[in-house]
Amino acid sequence: MSETEETILDRIAEVPADHYRILKISDLGGDELFELSKFMKLSLSKEDMLAVQEIYKEWDREPTDVELEVIAQTWSEHCKHRIFGATIEHTVDGESETVKSLFKTYIYDVSHRIFDSKPGFVLSAFHDNAGFIKLDDKQAVCLKAETHNHPSAIEPYAGANTGLGGVIRDILGAGKGAKPIGSLDVFCFGAPDTSLEDMKATDVIHPLGMMRGVVRGVRDYGNRMGIPTISGALQFDDAYIYNPLVFCGTAGVIPIDDIDKEVKPDQVVISVGGRTGRDGLKGATFSSAALDSTSHEEDQQAVQIGNPIEEKKAADFVLAARDKGLIEFVTDCGAGGYSSACGEMLETCGGTIDLDSVSLKAEGLVSWEIFISESQERMVLAVKKESLPELQELADLYETEMTELGSSDGSGILKVTHHGETVCELDCSKLHDAPIRQLKAKWSKKTEAIEAPVLSNAAEDLKSLLSDFAIVSREPIIREYDHEVQGNTVLKPLAGASGDAPQDASVLRISGSEKLMSMSVAVLPEWGKTDPYAMGAACVDECVRQLVASGSDPDRIAILDNFCVGNPEDEEELGALVETVKAIAAGAEAYGAPFVSGKDSFYNYFETEDGPVSIPVTILISGMGIVDDEAHVTGASIRRDDSVLAIIGNTGAELGGSVFARQKELANAEVPQTNFEEAFACYRKYYEANKAGLILSAHDVSEGGLAVTLAEGAFSRKAGLEVDLSGIPMDAAAGKAAMLFGESPSRIVVEVAPENLEKLADLFEGLPFAALGRTTSEHANLNIVWGKETLINEPVDQLKSLWKNGLAQYY
Amino acid sequence: MEERPCAVLLKFPGTNCDEETARALEEVGFVTEVIPISALKATSLVGVSLVVMPGGFSYGDYVQSGRFAKLVTEQKIGDTLTEFRDNGGYLLGICNGFQILTQLGLLPDGSLVENASGRYQCHWVKLDKQCAKSPFLTHLPDQFEFPIAHAEGRLVTGTPEEAKAYRESGAAALTYTDEVNGSFEQIAGLQDESGRVFGLMPHPERFMNSADHYDPDWESGVDGEASRGSGYYLFRSLYESVTSSN
Repeated sequence: MSETEETILDRIAEVPADHYRILKISDLGGDELFELSKFMKLSLSKEDMLAVQEIYKEWDREPTDVELEVIAQTWSEHCKHRIFGATIEHTVDGESETVKSLFKTYIYDVSHRIFDSKPGFVLSAFHDNAGFIKLDDKQAVCLKAETHNHPSAIEPYAGANTGLGGVIRDILGAGKGAKPIGSLDVFCFGAPDTSLEDMKATDVIHPLGMMRGVVRGVRDYGNRMGIPTISGALQFDDAYIYNPLVFCGTAGVIPIDDIDKEVKPDQVVISVGGRTGRDGLKGATFSSAALDSTSHEEDQQAVQIGNPIEEKKAADFVLAARDKGLIEFVTDCGAGGYSSACGEMLETCGGTIDLDSVSLKAEGLVSWEIFISESQERMVLAVKKESLPELQELADLYETEMTELGSSDGSGILKVTHHGETVCELDCSKLHDAPIRQLKAKWSKKTEAIEAPVLSNAAEDLKSLLSDFAIVSREPIIREYDHEVQGNTVLKPLAGASGDAPQDASVLRISGSEKLMSMSVAVLPEWGKTDPYAMGAACVDECVRQLVASGSDPDRIAILDNFCVGNPEDEEELGALVETVKAIAAGAEAYGAPFVSGKDSFYNYFETEDGPVSIPVTILISGMGIVDDEAHVTGASIRRDDSVLAIIGNTGAELGGSVFARQKELANAEVPQTNFEEAFACYRKYYEANKAGLILSAHDVSEGGLAVTLAEGAFSRKAGLEVDLSGIPMDAAAGKAAMLFGESPSRIVVEVAPENLEKLADLFEGLPFAALGRTTSEHANLNIVWGKETLINEPVDQLKSLWKNGLAQYY
Repeated sequence: MEERPCAVLLKFPGTNCDEETARALEEVGFVTEVIPISALKATSLVGVSLVVMPGGFSYGDYVQSGRFAKLVTEQKIGDTLTEFRDNGGYLLGICNGFQILTQLGLLPDGSLVENASGRYQCHWVKLDKQCAKSPFLTHLPDQFEFPIAHAEGRLVTGTPEEAKAYRESGAAALTYTDEVNGSFEQIAGLQDESGRVFGLMPHPERFMNSADHYDPDWESGVDGEASRGSGYYLFRSLYESVTSSN
């Protein structure tokens, strides 16, 4: 566009002062309104803009640019989750139903039914920056996970860096300030050995560079903050080349009395931490749009640079101020910057923010830029006037900058002033009435019964699985993270007698409590390609199962849902989402594991010359659990050479979704479904057995199936394994491939002392349970037989070396 | 009641192991005070028996690790730490604290530079006790394990001979059993001539309990103390040395 050409903004703007504009929108038609939205990068639809116009007609005035930006931030997909609130006409194999708000129907209502059935367990959910569950009578723990996909796609290091920095601030801004105690990271990338010819766009970063940049970003923020990164997962798929997924999560702990917070009139609003600049403008609206090649050039300013030491100082300040009882309300500056933070804080009370008092790090910022800048490392607090001197002392002590932004007044109006003029005056309650979107979704069954493949060389198949990127050790990444800072990591991501074997969940001791907190993650995008319902169910199951296997009480688990979806306007992609949501709701309800927080990220598709490439619908279920006693903590590695092995759970015939099926190109094979009721009965029995001290080690069966689970258990190098599959609980149709490599959910392999096997078997009476084999000092092989037929007999060392070096060679 | 010795932990912006290190010190009998560097005065150390520089990333360690912390410490309290040592005080630097003590010249000459791997490394290491007399190590066996977590833990000296001499003199009180990060002579920890200043890269405060070990079946082998980790014995050695020299 040439400089002389008149823009829509020029046509309608009235400029009372250099720092803000009044935009005359009342006479514009829908198309012009949409043009304005696009020009200002508001990411608001035509319907949204018409609704805005309507609001201002009622108020009988025109909006300022600041107000429009505030509304755009508030109504953005990123902040408001418009698609999860939409009315969706969902059609499955010709049958239609109307879903009014996925969130309300399947997340909120389901969780509230569980809250009611477990009084006093969930102490806060959905309205704060993170949800809290009760740890003991004094303390509560919380967990929050976020995605930072678009920033990471453009700048992997900075995107992941600020992704983790942001979610840590969520924890600091939860309640009156929770202490961050552990982080998780889950990444979905293209395979690190992707050849350049296979990449459909030249202006994306190669997956290897992506992975290394993202890992370094997480490393440099988490390690410097002194928060152990203890849990994680990796997935690889070609679709993620163009739209990598970067999930970062953090857990926190807080005294129960500090969970509730409220802003009252005549309190002072202060900002603590970093200064405000032009960096990070439009992050919220940016992440609510699709990527294309120009994103890499144009949207650089939407990605910020992190400064973990700035955040560490602010964290020290917030936690010290909380302990002194000086905080009335605190929230973080994330998407939308001050506009979101102050908007949230003053939502019901109202108050005035004076932009002249904001501490700036760049010159010449106009009003809307200051108000929506997403500059990092800022926390916003509401405090009593008389607390200010003591707060200033703390700010000096921890060398962080504290500025007064304004005050609350009880008016219910969010007022923003700048250079003596009112640049924004909004009735906060009106802001949240975004139009409800109407969408269509459809899904049709994609799977079919296939003939079970013949296994010609199961040992080679196992080796091939152990070398698969979906299964290989994440060790090169885990070792770059400090996973033991704070001195509380009891069950580490890699442990067992050799110190490098995989574990199911991670467990943290909590200072000042006898109880511990566990964390785990589950993400299975391959399943969702053909059966999103099965994917959702299996993710809830795997997450819960890992927590239980590691020692958590099955009746005190809470989970989070983080969705990433391509194009929600594509009916099939939205249909896959609806199916997934229904499944996680069913799982949550059956397990009594409520959602306490969640996030969704849409528009994860990339426009290439050959058309858009969308990611597969991806759900991350992350969970936190309570471990009652340190003695219950159970690792996944074999501990003795004179023990016996048993399997809990049924093995089905389905191979769909498995890594084996992907390697063998078994397209559209049926995907295993989860029998929640039977599974949960097993988990409760397992917990009884664990409390009684019957379990030596326990490992969940997940990617790669039973053979991989057994191999991983043996990676502690404590013993050889002798296993006979002929007696395991299974469907009649299950062949050897399904037994060895199928990924039927809800199964756990346990190691017990021989004298305890009978007790355990008695406990599992009526449930799928069977002895599986024994550990031995006679050899160091993984020996799996079917009756008299040897299926696999391989030295554990050789298997381990494939698994251990699978990623290391690319890293 | 017997008066408990006082340990001060210095906290720079970016120091992040202060809480668990204070907890470890309390567990063996110290009273502790964490002092942010902004509040540090020369008089802060009156009546104090032990000064600890805990781990972390002081000022982000974007220039050489510990460099900025050294400059600020000197600006704040001059050579008070040297006087403190000369008057019988004990100093312990862990990880970033080791880097800072080295920068301050309170330990034998050497630099802690980027690991030979070029990576941050978080894992457990085997260590050999090279100086049985060290007041920090008396209760530890000849060989034990601690976790490490650092990017700049490779100890280099002006010449390789210097490092060799440290090993012979016992200044290199702690060495890695295996090659870990490229340290000359596999040095993991140094002490000064008085024996009262000690710096090490590994983190004893992360191994206070046997359950902290990666192997669920690890045991200390000490009768009646099965639940203690090796880190506990470092801090208890220190406590006993401090209380017996008071």
